Amino acid sequence: MAGDVRSYSISELGAAFGLSRSTLLYYDRLGLLTPSGRTGAGYRRYGAAEYERLERICRYRELGLSLREIHQTLVSGKRPSVATVRRRLREVEGQIASLANHRRLLQGLLRQLSQPDAETTVDKSMWVEMLRVAGMDDEAMRRWHVEFERRAPGGHATFLTSLGIPAAEVDAIRQWSRRQDKG
Amino acid sequence: MMKQNVNVDQWTDLFASINLSEATMHRWHELFEARHPEGHQGFLEWLGLDQAKIGRIRQCSRDERW
Repeated sequence: MAGDVRSYSISELGAAFGLSRSTLLYYDRLGLLTPSGRTGAGYRRYGAAEYERLERICRYRELGLSLREIHQTLVSGKRPSVATVRRRLREVEGQIASLANHRRLLQGLLRQLSQPDAETTVDKSMWVEMLRVAGMDDEAMRRWHVEFERRAPGGHATFLTSLGIPAAEVDAIRQWSRRQDKG
Repeated sequence: MMKQNVNVDQWTDLFASINLSEATMHRWHELFEARHPEGHQGFLEWLGLDQAKIGRIRQCSRDERW
């Protein structure tokens, strides 16, 4: 614990904060975290003050401050400046907006993938297949067209068109239906 | 004046006139809901049904219970 009068090797300190040896060597090079001393053999030693300083460094890292901003903050001996926190907040808000967009795209893709058919419009072949599987035979379908044309010719036309049937074919079906009806 | 849309009574009369059984109609709704749920919704709206009625038909279709 930091309260003890003990020193840490670079590996021990790294292990305490989940940082690699190379990270602590880098912090030393930056002047961000300087060892309290060296052993006779030249190995770095860190004391309680360095432990506490590294605690602050890690906390500011978690908030997303840059190493330069952390250094400035520690040098000032005060808490992070308003400008620094504002900068980081803007950065986070930008990330949130970007992630929200990302989420929207993924939700859209999931909707498409979850549907058995990517095609949401029902066309003629799907319609005929459904009627057939439901139990309607060709004869029944013919009679159906005849009745449809007789009772609601406008609706018949609209319905056939909505299935994506070309106009010429729609006309042909309707004409044929009327002829059948006349007997 | 030519009516462009078909209402639900005309639609069901149509099938009744060619002696299509209710069972076949139900089966057809079930297929429609299973394969093209959005198409089913759109079609029922085209028939002029209100959302509550549409909801019931689609639920029956999913449950296969009428």
